[in-house]
Amino acid sequence: MKTLVVGLGNPILTDDGVGVRAAWALAQLLAGHNGNGSHNGRAEPTAVMEGLHAEFDNGPASAAITVTEASVGGLRLMELMIGYDRVIIMDAMMVNKGLGAGSIHRLTLDDLAAMSPTQHSASAHDTTLITALASGQQLGFHLPEEVVIYAVEVENVLDFNEEPTTAVAAAIPEVVTAVLAELQITNYRLPNE
Amino acid sequence: MSAANKRITIDPITRLEGHGKIEIFLNDEGDVQNAYIQIPELRGFEQFCVGRPAEEMPRITNRICGVCPEAHHMAATKALDMLYGIEPSSAVKKLRELFYMAFYCTDHTVHFYALGGPDFVLGPNAPAAERNILGVIHKVGVEVGKLVIDTRRRNHHVIQMLGGRGVHPVAGLPGGWSRAMTKDERVEVEGIARQNIEFALFSLKLFEDVVLANQEYVDLVLSDAFTHQTYYMGTVDSSNHLNFYDGLIRVVGPDGKEFVKYPASDYMNHIAERVEPWSYLKFPYLKGVGWKGLVDGPESGVYCATPLSRLNAADGLATPEAQAFFDKFYTTLGSQKVNGRYSPVHHRLATHWARLVELLYAAERMLELSQDPEITDPNVRPIVTNKPTEGIGSVEAPRGTLTHHYQTDERGILTKVNMIVGTTNNYAPIAMSVKKAAQGLIKKGTVITEGLLNTIEMAFRNYDPCMSCATHSLPGQMPLEVRIRDADGNEVERLSQYV
Repeated sequence: MKTLVVGLGNPILTDDGVGVRAAWALAQLLAGHNGNGSHNGRAEPTAVMEGLHAEFDNGPASAAITVTEASVGGLRLMELMIGYDRVIIMDAMMVNKGLGAGSIHRLTLDDLAAMSPTQHSASAHDTTLITALASGQQLGFHLPEEVVIYAVEVENVLDFNEEPTTAVAAAIPEVVTAVLAELQITNYRLPNE
Repeated sequence: MSAANKRITIDPITRLEGHGKIEIFLNDEGDVQNAYIQIPELRGFEQFCVGRPAEEMPRITNRICGVCPEAHHMAATKALDMLYGIEPSSAVKKLRELFYMAFYCTDHTVHFYALGGPDFVLGPNAPAAERNILGVIHKVGVEVGKLVIDTRRRNHHVIQMLGGRGVHPVAGLPGGWSRAMTKDERVEVEGIARQNIEFALFSLKLFEDVVLANQEYVDLVLSDAFTHQTYYMGTVDSSNHLNFYDGLIRVVGPDGKEFVKYPASDYMNHIAERVEPWSYLKFPYLKGVGWKGLVDGPESGVYCATPLSRLNAADGLATPEAQAFFDKFYTTLGSQKVNGRYSPVHHRLATHWARLVELLYAAERMLELSQDPEITDPNVRPIVTNKPTEGIGSVEAPRGTLTHHYQTDERGILTKVNMIVGTTNNYAPIAMSVKKAAQGLIKKGTVITEGLLNTIEMAFRNYDPCMSCATHSLPGQMPLEVRIRDADGNEVERLSQYV
């Protein structure tokens, strides 16, 4: 089964890039984990402006995992998903009456269609992810049967800053842990252990 | 409930990035008094940049926006050319322009098929849930959808190949480009350019079949509600032909006469920004004319920078097929030639057609450049020797003239950063278009229907406004909420969908 993990957002816009930061952290962990793994990607981005695209062979059990980052949803995101069986999206979300910055929601596409909450699943210059996936299916592309979205509630997406707010930064390891569980990867070590 | 002094808010705008909001104020009679667009702007970009090395700007600024990173990358790279006092070789210029044409082919394609086109293909009164690319596929056929996706895919491939990265390119250097093109790549790009031309011709035919063959749509395009007489801005080459990558900024008046033509580095002498108490947006206007408010005419410094305005500002297009459609565009829309050039088309909805004419030009220009003997010149990385001071660079972003302006110390560390992004140019004309459409459609006793609200949205959607430079916040399904408030700000009624 081919799995794509994609972090969405803008890493220089305070909390907006929480998904991208989670992708960086995840790639770093996968690069260091003691499976049958090998990777050819940049597991440790050296600067904010680096783009992440890392591939990991997680052994015969769950096969290939690709970790990448992207900035917008819609058709571009749908096109990224072509050829994968499963996709895990990590993104920021702003809900008016949410549970507070840093809370994490696990959503399905049905949730997204009903609530439409994440920051990057739609774009002014593109269509929504739901519409894009429906279009892709109409056009006969191989698109994932399973799409899971980890959305982190954020508080500041208007100020340029490389650092997320404290509550949102604290959510990043939690998102990574949740995604690792989703990937059924257990033999890793968190940096602070 | 009295209709008097109501305030109508459309929030957020469908298919428009950012928490853009339209506010419509009604007077005592229940007619439209004023209308404008509200866009939350990002903060602190200059502070973010100051203290960083200027050569990082092509990679920082393309992070501002997920929609047109290529345009920011190119404007920033050109600003570095001037900053470091190094004139790119003609091979470098051609390679950059080739890359940029691939970007135009993807960007204009998405706007027509996913954003602007659905209003015509499905009609302005179709339910919002159908007015999207999926609806277009249902109406026109799966093959069209495949062509759109293929066009995007092959041009993103070129962007990645020439720009070094898929989404946020990295190839721009002061006076250069980090990577030359191989001969094999050239052959591939030439083939892609030919496919782009075919696709552009197909799209223009589709526009003719769907819009021009339908009298109802033609009447809509030509209606007064979607017409404004303003100044028009666009970049032109030495023959006054449109150019997306380089040239002089030309502004023509509502009568089509050239008002001014200047190098981008001179922009501060020609463009000023107006601050209005009711909006935190700054409205750029022509200094040489002056600010008279959000009004039409030669006395008002309001200008527009869009595909329509670029065609209006140019004398013609430099490629043969696109020039033929340029002629057809003006003759069909009733323009007369005055002193050898067409008088401007003022119908804002014609911008969608102009965008497709530009798509064809970009495709043809891409073919020309891919066949240029210099395009595979390996010498594209010059050595920088001059001390940096100040640099200004500009390109035509798909949604308007984009200008970057940097100042540095002698080590090249940024001390000042200013930008006028594409959409910003159009803040004033967008506000005028929204007001006029609202005035024509909301009158005392008019029931607000979703189709009616969408018609108002059509008034600004043709500008292809991109709020990505402003904000990324957006709920995915684009809920549409209309709030009607009385003069005291109390909410008296709320209409919504998807909320």
